[in-house]
Amino acid sequence: MQPQLQPALKSRRRRRRRTGTPIGTPTSTDDIQASSEGGDDQEEGEEAPPVYVWGTNISVQDVNASILRFLRHFREDPLHDEGKYMRALHHIFEVEGESLDVDAQDVYDYDIDLYTKMVRYPLEVLAIFDLVLLDMAARMNPMFEKHIQVRTFNLRSSISMRNLNPSDIEKMVSVKGMIIRCSSIIPEIREAVFKCLVCGYLSDHVIVDRGRISEPKRCGRQECLAQNSMTLVHNRCKFADKQIIRLQETPDEIPEGGTPHTVSLVMHDRLVDSGKPGDRVEVTGIYRAMTVRVGPTQRTIKSLFKTYVDCLHLKKNDTSRMDAEDPMEFDDGSGNVDKDTSPEYQEKLEQLKELAKQPDIYDKLTRSLAPNIWELDDVKRGLLCQLFGGNALKLPSGATFRGDINILLVGDPGTSKSQLLQYIHKLAPRGIYTSGRGSSAVGLTAYVTKDPETGETVLESGALVLSDRGICCIDEFDKMSENARSMLHEVMEQQTVSIAKAGIIASLNARTSVLACANPSGSRYNPRLSVIDNIHLPPTLLSRFDLIYLMLDKADEHMDRRLAKHIVALHFENPETVQQDVLDIPTLTAYLSYARRHIRPKLSDEAAEELIRRYVEMRRRGNFPGSSKKVEKPDVAEAFRLLEVALQQSATDHATGTIDMDLITTGVSASERMRRENLLSAARNIIMEKMQLGGPSTRTLELLEELKKQSSAEVHLTDLRNALSTLASEGFIVVQGDTIKRI
Amino acid sequence: MVGIAFDCLSNPLGAVRVTFEKAIASGIDPTNLNGKDWGALDVFRDCLFDQGALSQVPILDHSSIGWIQPNSLVRFRGMVQDMLGNEFYVGAFKDGSTWRTNKFTDIASFPMGSQSETRIWERQLLYCVPVPGQNSWTIQHSSESMFNRCNKWTSQHGEKRQRDDEMVIDYMVPQESQGSTSSSKKMREGEFTGQSPQLHESFNDEMSAKVSVLTSFDSNRLPCLVKVYDSPESDLKLNDVLEFVGVFTFDPVLSVQADGSEDVSNELFEDALSHLPPNKVPRLHCLIHRKLANHDFLLSSPAIERAPNLVRETREALVGHLTTILGNDGLAAECVLLHLLSRVHGRVDSVALGKLSLNLTGFTRESLTVFGSQLNHAIQTLLPFTKSIPFTVEYLNTASLAPQKDYEKNRLVTSALQLAEGTHVTIDETQLQEGMLNATGVENVTLLKNLMELQKVEYDFNYYKLEMPTDVQLLILSEGKSNILPADLVLPIQPTVVGSSLNCASEAQQAWRWYLATLRSSAHDIDPDMQKIIEDDLVAARQEDRSLGSNDFSRWLTMGRLVSASFGETRLTLEHWQMVKELERRRKERLNEMRK
Repeated sequence: MQPQLQPALKSRRRRRRRTGTPIGTPTSTDDIQASSEGGDDQEEGEEAPPVYVWGTNISVQDVNASILRFLRHFREDPLHDEGKYMRALHHIFEVEGESLDVDAQDVYDYDIDLYTKMVRYPLEVLAIFDLVLLDMAARMNPMFEKHIQVRTFNLRSSISMRNLNPSDIEKMVSVKGMIIRCSSIIPEIREAVFKCLVCGYLSDHVIVDRGRISEPKRCGRQECLAQNSMTLVHNRCKFADKQIIRLQETPDEIPEGGTPHTVSLVMHDRLVDSGKPGDRVEVTGIYRAMTVRVGPTQRTIKSLFKTYVDCLHLKKNDTSRMDAEDPMEFDDGSGNVDKDTSPEYQEKLEQLKELAKQPDIYDKLTRSLAPNIWELDDVKRGLLCQLFGGNALKLPSGATFRGDINILLVGDPGTSKSQLLQYIHKLAPRGIYTSGRGSSAVGLTAYVTKDPETGETVLESGALVLSDRGICCIDEFDKMSENARSMLHEVMEQQTVSIAKAGIIASLNARTSVLACANPSGSRYNPRLSVIDNIHLPPTLLSRFDLIYLMLDKADEHMDRRLAKHIVALHFENPETVQQDVLDIPTLTAYLSYARRHIRPKLSDEAAEELIRRYVEMRRRGNFPGSSKKVEKPDVAEAFRLLEVALQQSATDHATGTIDMDLITTGVSASERMRRENLLSAARNIIMEKMQLGGPSTRTLELLEELKKQSSAEVHLTDLRNALSTLASEGFIVVQGDTIKRI
Repeated sequence: MVGIAFDCLSNPLGAVRVTFEKAIASGIDPTNLNGKDWGALDVFRDCLFDQGALSQVPILDHSSIGWIQPNSLVRFRGMVQDMLGNEFYVGAFKDGSTWRTNKFTDIASFPMGSQSETRIWERQLLYCVPVPGQNSWTIQHSSESMFNRCNKWTSQHGEKRQRDDEMVIDYMVPQESQGSTSSSKKMREGEFTGQSPQLHESFNDEMSAKVSVLTSFDSNRLPCLVKVYDSPESDLKLNDVLEFVGVFTFDPVLSVQADGSEDVSNELFEDALSHLPPNKVPRLHCLIHRKLANHDFLLSSPAIERAPNLVRETREALVGHLTTILGNDGLAAECVLLHLLSRVHGRVDSVALGKLSLNLTGFTRESLTVFGSQLNHAIQTLLPFTKSIPFTVEYLNTASLAPQKDYEKNRLVTSALQLAEGTHVTIDETQLQEGMLNATGVENVTLLKNLMELQKVEYDFNYYKLEMPTDVQLLILSEGKSNILPADLVLPIQPTVVGSSLNCASEAQQAWRWYLATLRSSAHDIDPDMQKIIEDDLVAARQEDRSLGSNDFSRWLTMGRLVSASFGETRLTLEHWQMVKELERRRKERLNEMRK
C-alpha cells in the first residue's frame, strides 16, 4: 500500500485546487479521470474545515454524507434488507469489477437535492462519489485494491445534440445519437517514470497534471544530481486507454433543411470500444469545452473552444423505429409493461390513451392512413388491421396459428396500389419493399453461400426473413416467377423458412405479414371472369391471403367527381387545410407500436356468440347448389383474426367491436357472381325462346317483366342491363338504347 | 450620421465596440447577454438599408478579395452548401474592470488575461459557395469606384506609405483616418496604442503574407465560411441562397494551424475547419443576412410595374423569341414558357405541387445541335441558375450525383444535384447509348427519377439517407419519349424553319428576365365558381377517357395556374382554363400524329 499512498495524496491535493477554479472555465481533459482514480481516508475529510465548491454553497461534507446515505439506504423494494447499491458493491468485490453503475433515477427518487447537485456540478460531486466509494470499499473489503468508478446513467431528461449550448458546459448531460467514427485506441499516459542516464536512478512516479508531465530537471539521487539527464522509461509508465468517438444526430432529430450535428465523445478505460460505428447509443457524460491551442502566439488562445462529452456511461439503443416485440413472448401476461417511467414517455402514453378514448378513433385512424390517397376506406381498414397485427396462438399440442394477416390488392392500373404499398412500407415497424419482377425465390427467403475466405457455408437472409415481425411489401406480385411464388407458400402459412442445402438444414423465423399487389391478368379487370381467373394466381397461394381487395376503376361519376374535387382542392387551397383532423405519421407510428406491444384484447362471450352467428349465416348463404365456394373453417379462423385486430385498434380491452363483414369480399362476391350468371343464362334462354334471328326488337322492360315471372329472386334493371351488355359482347344480340335485337 | 456610416463600412468592428460600450453604460449586464444583440445590428441596419449604404459595400469574390482589407464590411452572395455546426467562443470578457466583446471577430482585440472573467457564447458556422450554375450575367462585380474608394481610405492616412505594392495596406489605416470627431474614436486610438508596437509591425508582415497566399484561392469560385450570430438555427437551411453582410477577417495566425502538426489525440476533435484553411476559404462574420430570390439577381431591375398590358407585351415578345428558337414551333414555345415559370408551391405528403417538368422529344443528333443548343443558350440568358447534366451511360456510372457526407473530413461533399431553389436543369438524353449500368449508375438514375417525380434528393449520410426537398425545373431533350425519366409534359417538337439568327436587344432580355423572375413567385387563387367549372370539366374528361388519372388532372391544374400567372394574373379565369384545354388538345393531337 505504501507506494500508492503518495499518488493518492497528490491527487487529493489536485482536487482541492480544482474545486477552487471557477465553474465555466474549462480545464484539461484528464480531470475527471483523475478524480475517479484518487482516494483518501474519510476521517481526514471530516476533520477538515468545511470545504465549499467554489461559487456555490455546496458543502463537500454535506454531499459526502448524502451520497453515503444514498448508497447505504437506497432500496428499490422496501422488503429488501440490503440496499440495492450495497448489493451491487458486494458483487463488484466478487468479480473484481471496476465501476458501479448508478441509476440517476434512483438518486432522484431518494434525494432530489443530490440529483440536482450532481447534474449541475458533476465534476465535484462525482469526485466525492468516488471518494466515498473508495472509502467504503476500504472498510468493507480491505483486500480490495481497485478503484471503483461511478458511472451514472438514465438522467431524467436527455438533451438534443442541437440544443447543447454554452450553459451546458460542465454539466451532466445525456445525448442520443449514432456513432459514426471511432478513433483507434490512444494510450494516454497517467504516471511516468524517469531514469537518470548517468547513474541509472529511477525517479518516483510522476503524475499527469493538467495534461502535462514535467520532466525532472535533475537527477533525484543526492550523489548524482546530474542536470538534464532524466529520460522517460516507457515500459514502466502507466497508460490508460482512451478513445475518441464522433456521435451524430439520428435522422428523426434533424429538422427539415438541416444537416445532422455531430459531437465528440471521449471514452476512457472500460468504455473504450463499447460502441462501434452505426450503433445508436444514449450517452451520459459531462459536456466539456477545451480551449483551442492556436499557433505559438498567446493572442488567440481562449477565444475559441472545442467541445466534447466526457463519457460516463454508454447505452446502446435498438435501432428499429418502433420495436415490435414478439407477440409470442407475451404469453405470460403483461409483466413488463410500462417500465419506462420518464415523464415524456408517460405524457406520450397519456396522449395515446386519450386518443384511444375518442369515439371516432377507428375512422380517424382510417383517415390518417395515406391521407393523400382518396377513398378506398375499406382497403385502408384492412391495411390497418395488418399493421396492428393479431395474436399468434400456440396450442398445447405445439401447433401454431399465425397472428399476422396477409393482404392482396388486385386492381386496375392507376388505382394507387403502389402508393399504398409505399406508405405502409414507411409506416411499418420493419419491412422490406420489393418488386415481384426483380425478386427471385432465394432473394425472398434465404440462401446459402460459401464464405470466400474460410470456405464455410453461410446462410444469408432474404427479404421475408429480414422483415420478420414486420411487413413485406411485394409490388407486381403477378409478374413474379412461378418458382419464386411457390416459395411463399410455407412462409405465409407456417411463418418459417426451411432450408435444406448442403451443409445446412435450418428453419428460420419469418413471422411476416405479406402485403402484395397485382394487376389483373388482362391488365384490366374483367367482370365476366372469376376473381381467380382475373388474378391468375394458383388457388393454393391465393388461399394464403386473408384479405383480397379488388380495386376496380369503375366508371362512376360520383367517384370521378370526388377525385376532381380532391385534386382541385389540392392545388388551390392551402395544403394544410386540405387534410384536417388526421394523425401525423409519428403519432400514428407511436399508436401502432403501443397497441402492438401492450394491447392483448380478449374475445368477449357476446362477440364470440356474434361471430358464430355470422359464421352460420354466411355458411347458409354460401350453401346454394352449384357453388364451389363454401365458407370453410379457415374462414372463421380468419374472422377471428379480424375481430381481434379490430378490437386492438380501439386499444381498449373487451370492447365490443363489430366486424366489418364487407371485408370478407371473396365469399360474397362468389355468390353475387353466381346470381349474375344465373340471370345471364335466364336472359339468354328467354331471348332464345321469344325472339327470332333478325326478328323485331324487344324492349328491355318487357324482358325484365318476363324474367321476373320466371325467377323467384328479385331482378333489378341494372343487373339485367349488365347481363345484356355481356350478351352483346358475345355477339348474341345488339342493344340500341332501350331496344334489343337478336342477330 | 455620416461619420457613423463611414464607420460602419470601413471599421465595422469599431462600430460594434462603440455600441457595446454604450449598451454596457446603459446598464445591460453582459453576463446575462448570452450572445444576444445589444443594439449593434440596428445601427448597421439603419446605415445599410435606411440610408442605402448597402450598394457601397464591396462584394467579396475572387476578383475583389485581392484588395478588400481585412476587418472591413463586405457582402457575399452564395448558397449554404454545408452546415458545420456551432462554435463556442469567448463572447465577452473582463479586461480589468471593463467588459469587452469578441463578437464578430476571430481575434480578441484586447489581450485577455488568463484569469479574467469570461462568458462563452456560440455562433453558427456555414460553409457557403457561389450558387451552382450561376450564369455570368447575374454576377455583380464590385465596381471600380469601390476599389478606388477603398484606396482613398488608405491614402488619407497620415503616414503616406509608398504603395509600390498596393496590396500592402496598412491595417491601422481605417481607424486613424477617421479624424477625431467623436469621443469614442479617441478611446479607440488610445486602446490601440496600448498594444505593443511589435503587433503593429506584425500586421504589415501579415498583409504581405496575405498577398502570397491569395494565389491559393480558387480562381473562379470563391467559397466562404460564414459565422452567423443572432439567428435561430431553423432560420437558415441547407441550399438556401443568401446575401450576407458582415466583417471580412483574415488572420494568417489561424492558417498556421493547418500545417502545424496536430496532436494525435486531436485527430477526431479536429473538425471540418482544418480542411478549410483561411488562406483558401475567407471568413465572414455575418452581421445581417437576407434570403435572396431569383429576382434579386437581376442587376438593373427595370422599373416596370406589373401593368397588365406590359406583362402581356413582354409575354408575347418572349413567346415570339422562344418560337424562333424552336424553329417556329409555337406550341413548344408555349410549353417551354410554362415550364420556365413553374415552381413547387406546396407539398402534400410526398406530392410536390406546381412542378412542371418538360420532355421535348423528336430531337436527333443533328437537330439537337441547332435547336438544343439554341434553347440552352436562351435559357442561360433568361434564368439566373442553370445546369445541364449529360445523360450518358459513362457519366451515370462514374459520377456521384447524390451529395455525400465525408466523415473523414466531417464535410458534406457537394455533387451535381445539390442545387439551389429555382435552378433549371437540362438533361440531354439524346447522347444516351446502349450499355450496362453498374450499381452507381442505377442509383444515379433512381435519384434523377425521384428528383423528377417527387422533387426530392436523397443525401447520402452513409449510415442513413436524408431526403432534402428541392425545387428545380427539369427539361429533358430526347429522341423519343423518355421512359427512364418520366416528365410531366411530353411534347414532340416540330420545327419548320431552321434557326434564324438570334439577335435580341439587351433591354428586351432584361425585361424577359424580370418577367420570368417576378411572375414565377406570384401568388395564385381561384374562385369557387371557377373551381366548380374545372371540376365538371375533369369529370367529363374522365367519363370520356378512362385512362386519365390524377397525374393528368394535376398537370392540367398546374398548367392552368401557370397560364394565368404568365398573364400576370392571380386568379384563374375561364379564358385561361380554355387555353389550357386547347394546349392539351393540340399536344395530344401531335402525340397521336407522331405515333402514326
